[in-house]
Amino acid sequence: MVRHGIARTLTVLSALTASIALSPMAMADGKFDGVTLRIATWGGSNKAAIEQSIVPKFEALGGKIEFVTGSPQANFAKLIAARGRAPFDVMEILDAQLPDFAQTDYLAKIDLSKVPNTKYLESWSYNEMGMASWLTQETICYNTEKYAELGLPAPTTYRDLVTPELKGRISIPDITSGGGLANFAAISIAAGGDLKNVKPGIDLIQDMNVLKFWSRGGETVTQFQTGDIYAAVVHAGWCVRAKNAGSPVQTVHPVIKDDIVGVQKYGRLGIMKSSKNYDAALWYVNEFVGIDNQFTLATQTGVFPTNKEVVAKLGSDPVLKQMLELDPAKLGKQLRIDYSQVNISDWVDQWTRAIVTN
Amino acid sequence: MSAREDGLIAADAVRATPDTRAVAAGKAMRWRSRQAVNFWLKWVMVVLAYVFLHAPLIVVIGASFNGGGEYAAIEFPPASPSIEWYFEIPMQQFEALGLSFALASLASLSAVIIGVPAALGLVRSNLPGKTLIGVVFRSPLQIPAVVSGIAFLQMYYLVGDATGFFAQGSFIGLAIGHIFIAIPYVVGTVVAVLQRFDHRLEEAALSLGASPWRTFRRVTLPVIMPGVYAGALYAFMVSFGDVPLSIFLTAPGYVTYPVELFSALENDFDPSILASGTLVILFCLVVMIVVQRVVGLDALLKIGGTGKGR
Repeated sequence: MVRHGIARTLTVLSALTASIALSPMAMADGKFDGVTLRIATWGGSNKAAIEQSIVPKFEALGGKIEFVTGSPQANFAKLIAARGRAPFDVMEILDAQLPDFAQTDYLAKIDLSKVPNTKYLESWSYNEMGMASWLTQETICYNTEKYAELGLPAPTTYRDLVTPELKGRISIPDITSGGGLANFAAISIAAGGDLKNVKPGIDLIQDMNVLKFWSRGGETVTQFQTGDIYAAVVHAGWCVRAKNAGSPVQTVHPVIKDDIVGVQKYGRLGIMKSSKNYDAALWYVNEFVGIDNQFTLATQTGVFPTNKEVVAKLGSDPVLKQMLELDPAKLGKQLRIDYSQVNISDWVDQWTRAIVTN
Repeated sequence: MSAREDGLIAADAVRATPDTRAVAAGKAMRWRSRQAVNFWLKWVMVVLAYVFLHAPLIVVIGASFNGGGEYAAIEFPPASPSIEWYFEIPMQQFEALGLSFALASLASLSAVIIGVPAALGLVRSNLPGKTLIGVVFRSPLQIPAVVSGIAFLQMYYLVGDATGFFAQGSFIGLAIGHIFIAIPYVVGTVVAVLQRFDHRLEEAALSLGASPWRTFRRVTLPVIMPGVYAGALYAFMVSFGDVPLSIFLTAPGYVTYPVELFSALENDFDPSILASGTLVILFCLVVMIVVQRVVGLDALLKIGGTGKGR
């Protein structure tokens, strides 16, 4: 009896020992013991997705991740104020900021041999100075029921928004908003201009009879819900969100020029030169573009993945399949803006003079 | 119509013939109807002003009770009433709220400690360059908070390089910035009270043998208290609601409530923000009611009032 009791106790103890030994914490090789990695990124659902997919893995390796939340513009201002001594190790950078970063010496070179997940990325999307971490597909999101009521065909390009039936029922991004520059460029090119000549784009926007120049894409979800707008220039993630919230909406990837259909904007991850946690930062960058995080980010925040495997996975969701462009061949032909060719201050000046003051 | 004119109409009515009496009665009726119109016009204006001021709060509170699950949008009145978002408020928002209250309390208290002597000096001293000093104290109101935020961040790095103490990303760093933007409100309200101060009160106390400190404590301070309270309240509100300055000075673990909400809203819309906003509105309302009942807020804020409350 006693022997059985001892045997049972030993069995329980050994099972406990084994379970502790096999737990993720104990399995950790302590690679990042005591390391606190600071990430400059957006708050909200973006941070929540990273907390779900990356933070537990990093903690299992003994480290800790802290977030410096704010827009890339605000974080860049912090960087300038601190003369490059960033209060963070890794930073989200917008494509429109790349020329600014090119003029500084704030970014460390990424040792690509330590980022094996680059095998899942398109070659254009990474180099030693940064890794494309997400994309957005900038679309025309329109209310299918209202269009049917008005007898309007589905739009194919921005000029289709210039119609009396849509007077005061359109929302497009303000130039200072996240999607502002990319969409302004796309509208200008579609209207016959180019990156050096945006006047045709301004003229087209003035013809549109816009209700609201949105500063946050979330505004359009509410406006579709309340019926204030029938069409919006907005990234597909917001249109998906509007559809999931109950609005009868559909995306259109606008024809820009010749065989260019659709617009992309993207973000990059950069490692700060001032970082004292370079190896941990590399680990983070690799995890960020990995399948787990890219899928979580895409499904929870509405951005488009840069990871090709995840793009293929999204096709299994009927709503995403309907709203997003998933064909790799077509994705490759979408417009991405080369901001090294853009005088952003001049664009903002022209916008302010023509759109804001009128 | 003044009381004198009213009296003249009445006197006319007494002296007058039946015809002129009828005219006077007509005048009085017109005057009364004008008074009634004025009365209702004032009420309508007041109601419109209240609706204009409170409509955003009503929408926030109403929309916070809209369910709709993960993909909810702002809907007022709520389409599917629910309190689900009150259970989804992230813990970071409560932590940020606690920090904001502590920070705003410290900023308003420090602004009083610095601002009251500064106001006394500005009004009563013969310091050379007094006007310039006054401009310096008011300057935080003239400098955009974003610029102040960047300037503070740069200053902290410069001080850190020189002394080894880096204030950026710390509570102290945040507090210094908030005290900076809070001081002008206390200085402004206390200066306004002091400029209308009756100096004979102090002279009377001094001539009756009170020491200067006792005179200040028992005579001056009670009279300027409404200005101090008003300034402290403004300072608290400015600090509590600040985003542009704080966004440059916050760091992990030291994120203020408005910055937490702003960061969350920049990239997404989370309906739990409406719920936490509603809780803050209700909390402020309760605090105001308690302060009103215990101290008498209206008496305290009445510049030139007794400052004793009820």
